[in-house]
Amino acid sequence: MKKSLLLPLILLALLALIFLWGVTLYPWDAALPSGESLQPPSPTHWLGTDNLGVDVFAQISAGFFRSMGIGAMTALCTFLLGGGLGITAGLAGGWVDDAIGLLIQIFLSIPQLPVMIVLGAFLGQSTWNIIWILCLFSWAPVAKVLREKTRSVCGRPYVSMARVYGGGLFYLIRTHLAGDLLPLLSVSALGVVGKAILQESSLAFLGLSDPLARSWGLMIARATQFPGIYRTNFWLWWLLSPVLAMILSTLLLRLTVQAIQLPKS
Amino acid sequence: MVRRILLLLLSCTAIYLLNFFIPRLMPGDPFDYTASGSGEDVTDVYSQEQKELLREYYGLDKPWPQQLADTVARNLHGDLGQSIHYKRPVLDILVERLPWSLWMMGCSLALSLLLGVGLALLCVGTRHGHRVLAPLLSALAEIPPFLTGVLLLFLVAARVSWIPLSGAVTPFAQYSSVWQQLGDILLHSLMPIAALTLVTCPKFFFTAWASFSSVLHQPYMTNAKAKALRQRRVWPFYLLANSLSPIAARLFLLVGACVGGTILVENVFAYPGLGTVLREAVSYRDYPMIQGVFLLSALLVLVSLTLADLCSHAVDREGTP
Repeated sequence: MKKSLLLPLILLALLALIFLWGVTLYPWDAALPSGESLQPPSPTHWLGTDNLGVDVFAQISAGFFRSMGIGAMTALCTFLLGGGLGITAGLAGGWVDDAIGLLIQIFLSIPQLPVMIVLGAFLGQSTWNIIWILCLFSWAPVAKVLREKTRSVCGRPYVSMARVYGGGLFYLIRTHLAGDLLPLLSVSALGVVGKAILQESSLAFLGLSDPLARSWGLMIARATQFPGIYRTNFWLWWLLSPVLAMILSTLLLRLTVQAIQLPKS
Repeated sequence: MVRRILLLLLSCTAIYLLNFFIPRLMPGDPFDYTASGSGEDVTDVYSQEQKELLREYYGLDKPWPQQLADTVARNLHGDLGQSIHYKRPVLDILVERLPWSLWMMGCSLALSLLLGVGLALLCVGTRHGHRVLAPLLSALAEIPPFLTGVLLLFLVAARVSWIPLSGAVTPFAQYSSVWQQLGDILLHSLMPIAALTLVTCPKFFFTAWASFSSVLHQPYMTNAKAKALRQRRVWPFYLLANSLSPIAARLFLLVGACVGGTILVENVFAYPGLGTVLREAVSYRDYPMIQGVFLLSALLVLVSLTLADLCSHAVDREGTP
């Protein structure tokens, strides 16, 4: 395994282990008050408590698995939808290609955030709705890349040769296309995870995510809306810890994806 | 080109229809929310009779094809309807708020263009510049705009006493001169613009860097070097002039990302632009207002996308003489 890939992977695993501790063995609950409000970090409350006395570290840990889950679901959806549509368009050609190409163009040119806000408000505040919305706007770039790649692979001499010799569609996909397309598709889908986490937090910050969920964006929004927080030092643990958790985990995800991509480009 | 314009029209229609149907499918009723200004303090509920009357007044009781036809006809006359929450014409509110958003977006786009191109020049000009700048800016590009806003708010605005925390002007201020008023506006927009610029400038940087790098390998650059032209002549007339088209295309492409960023940053700093209006309109289920903001931002993005396409079209023509 490459060194550039190993380091972010190990750090990511370490981060996941720390947060796993936070949701399992750590004594405090992420949803219930567990002490005085606005306590600074101490051995009992590792990252202090928020204004309702809920432990911050427990909340961040729960937020990590929620964010990763949302990211993974969005990536899976992108893998299926983006890959499926992109490869279908590239393989089929003709009017199917034109129709899917047009759909991709429309989805790429629609301003994402305003539509997401409107859709989020329309569907109601729940985690599943956020996942649907994120999926709706993450497949198009992947489909575009896959469509072009499929087209270029299909144009190669050995593929046309195999086709001329009577190779069926599934035979062609299995032997000639999958080797080129699957790695590209997986990496593109993996790249969606970090983006989805950040977009979810943006929507949560605007108050469009599940108000009861332990979400990083929601924690940040609550902390910034706490009256007079600028004049105190509560923000040092209440606001900064979700911000750092989010930056750290998305950065590590990005480095991992970059390390996988590097030799190909 | 015909294809491009057709696509623009089609996207516009798609957005318009989406815009029309989505608010009508939303759960909740705008007349449940209009009772009070803040929505929570006073619970003053409309009676069933009043609701019906209001629904008839706003034309919400008709079947949807009729509503659609009416809406199109009215919008073509420049009438975007009456805001249910603000109780004023939507167009008035848009006209009132749009300058703030445009000012913020325009300033941060211009600043990030200058900063991004400048940093890219620095990268090309120095030997090891890219080792520091490239990873730093690529990390910065990943941070969502609301986070840079929040970080700037806490790390800078809250520490420095002369930087205001929110709003666009000092409330109830009396200005002795135009300059003082202008200064106040500038000071208030400093942090929002900085937050948006930080997120946008890496995108210009990478485009400009790639563009410069490809131009540097062109034969005419070698020729210029062979002629021993001064850097003062080579950089603006050979390097910059030839790598401008992709950067210009990028500028228009980024308007879309910038609209999203503006919405988020405005909500961090309570800046009175379209973003704060959109958030309020969504929470009060104010259909006409949502439609107005959405339509305006979508049009802005689509027009700039088409301009971006025209720019890259020009690039293609240059490439194949």
